[in-house]
Amino acid sequence: MKGFFGEFGGQFVAETLMPALDQLEETFEKLKEDEEFNKKLSYYMNSYAGRPTPIYYAENISRKYNTTLLIKREDLLHTGAHKINNTIGQGLITKFMGKKRIIAETGAGQHGVATATIAALLGLDCTIYMGKTDAERQETNVRRMKLLGAEVKVVDEGSKTLKDAVSSALRDWITNVENTHYIIGSALGPHPFPTIVAHFQSVIGRESRQFFIENKESFPDYVIACVGGGSNSIGIFKGFLDIDTVNLIGVEAGGRSSKIGDHAMSINHGEKGIFQGSLSYVVQNSIGQIANVHSISAGLDYAGIGPEHAYLHSIGRVKYDSVNDDEAMEGFYLMTKYEGILPALESSHAVGYFLKHHKNFQGKKVLLLLSGRGDKDMGIVNEYEKEKGIL
Amino acid sequence: MKGIYILADYPDKKTFEKELTYAMNSNIDFIEIGIPFNDPVADGPTIAKAANEIAERGYDLLSIIDLIGELKKKKVYLMTYSNIIYKFGVKKFSDIAKGIVDGLILADLPNRGHNFFYKLGLEVDIINFLTPESRDNAIKKLVNAEGDFIYFIGVRGITGGEVDFNNSELRSKYISIKKEIDKKVILGFGVKTKADTKTIMEYADGFVIGTEIVKRQNNYKEFKKYIDEIFTT
Ligand SMILES: Cc1ncc(COP(=O)(O)O)c(C=O)c1O
Repeated sequence: MKGFFGEFGGQFVAETLMPALDQLEETFEKLKEDEEFNKKLSYYMNSYAGRPTPIYYAENISRKYNTTLLIKREDLLHTGAHKINNTIGQGLITKFMGKKRIIAETGAGQHGVATATIAALLGLDCTIYMGKTDAERQETNVRRMKLLGAEVKVVDEGSKTLKDAVSSALRDWITNVENTHYIIGSALGPHPFPTIVAHFQSVIGRESRQFFIENKESFPDYVIACVGGGSNSIGIFKGFLDIDTVNLIGVEAGGRSSKIGDHAMSINHGEKGIFQGSLSYVVQNSIGQIANVHSISAGLDYAGIGPEHAYLHSIGRVKYDSVNDDEAMEGFYLMTKYEGILPALESSHAVGYFLKHHKNFQGKKVLLLLSGRGDKDMGIVNEYEKEKGIL
Repeated sequence: MKGIYILADYPDKKTFEKELTYAMNSNIDFIEIGIPFNDPVADGPTIAKAANEIAERGYDLLSIIDLIGELKKKKVYLMTYSNIIYKFGVKKFSDIAKGIVDGLILADLPNRGHNFFYKLGLEVDIINFLTPESRDNAIKKLVNAEGDFIYFIGVRGITGGEVDFNNSELRSKYISIKKEIDKKVILGFGVKTKADTKTIMEYADGFVIGTEIVKRQNNYKEFKKYIDEIFTT
């Protein structure tokens, strides 16, 4: 079996999918070195999606906490999150393979919107799977996907969230593998997906590294990113893995508590397991059933984590920590009120981590990845404020 | 080789035990026993729903294997997903299952992944799969494969779908596989009716029925009736 990072990864999927995974791997290996492909990729990344994204010096927060906080602004990308880096890449791969249809799972709806957008752009048929709970709490994104011409299939099975959306997408793919490409939305699933997604997201890390080089600045002391499946975080980490002085921090969703069912902390509170294509850390019970998970942010509400993160954890290169729902909300308010930037609730976990540990960052340089913007989360924020009696 | 797939502990322990006993004493050649997992990506709605229900309720794999040992009169294969065995402990599972279980079928483990489990100490054979998409080199690799048979998934899809076992593409794929491979090749996924089984037996070594069995597991009478209808000649 191929595609291991240390002991993690692999291809734990039905035999039916193996020819498609082999084909995808062959195509990807060829295309990633292909001049024409890369020209097209940068063309769309730049002129369509809005790359390169800026790095903003957060002056008010920096002053308040006596630190240097830099923010990588993936929230400024077309469709509002880093997800489009991956869908442009995989959309182009789909075209090169001659397939006519793409499918995707989505949690927060960001990946679904990014996929539907690319389908519209490239003239591909598109079906998006979304858990019923998520479709309800991210209604605007459902509407957007439909407007973009995608069919949205609401999954009313199991926990009705991201796990079940992935399973449904996999079932669709098993059935329609001949004419369909599955654009998985995070750096997870069977090989070669974790590698492909990381490849297309690594543009975040490359640009960030370049920023420090071009400005003749020292590299940051810390890089902080939120971790759901792990695509925005692996993207930025890739730019700094080889620089030992840069501390890399991945922030998992602590949810309501560390009780099973209340959180989505795969590394901090999960165990090794085989889930949706790869061996990694999984929130599961004593007989290997996948646990229900919770996070205030739909995009982090997932029982697993990409296998490369499990590996980076195992060798100690990245520190994986967590913040809970309330701490993430505090991060949300901080960024909104002090910098005028409304972060996605996923990204708010990274901000919440900064805030919780701001004393450690005094006199240091911190690069924080803002993976997306929070417009989609207004409904959840309203609910939260009602519950807390703030509204 | 005619077989059924039956989901362990479904709808409850007692009914499952009764039905397994009945199956052990019928004309069936082999029994696949499904060990529930709550992310059954290869299964259609019928099996997925039932598996989810039992997975959420919880079960004891040890006592299921014990029960199989007590009742065993046929070849028995355990069918489940990788994480169930991985979490239980591969070596531990192997030591317990070795004398009782004739093979392991892991729906989310491709043929080239078998070594992952053997390296962790598994001494039970893992059954290989072939599909309509299997390329020639994948078929040739199975000439000396381990396991009592090869599981041929006749459809592009999941359990419980609609399949025409007469269609010429399926038949000719099956025949081309048998040209390469001496071992028994069993058709699964989508087998429903007596007519299906008759068609299959015209050209194939055997079949396994899953969804139609699981559908009847919560009604012992219906279960018996169906087994009698399909498996008496
Ligand atoms: C804005 C944003 N950030 C982060 C994530 C989490 O995914 P990942 O860990 O793959 O970056 C999502 C997922 O939907 C998202 O929408």
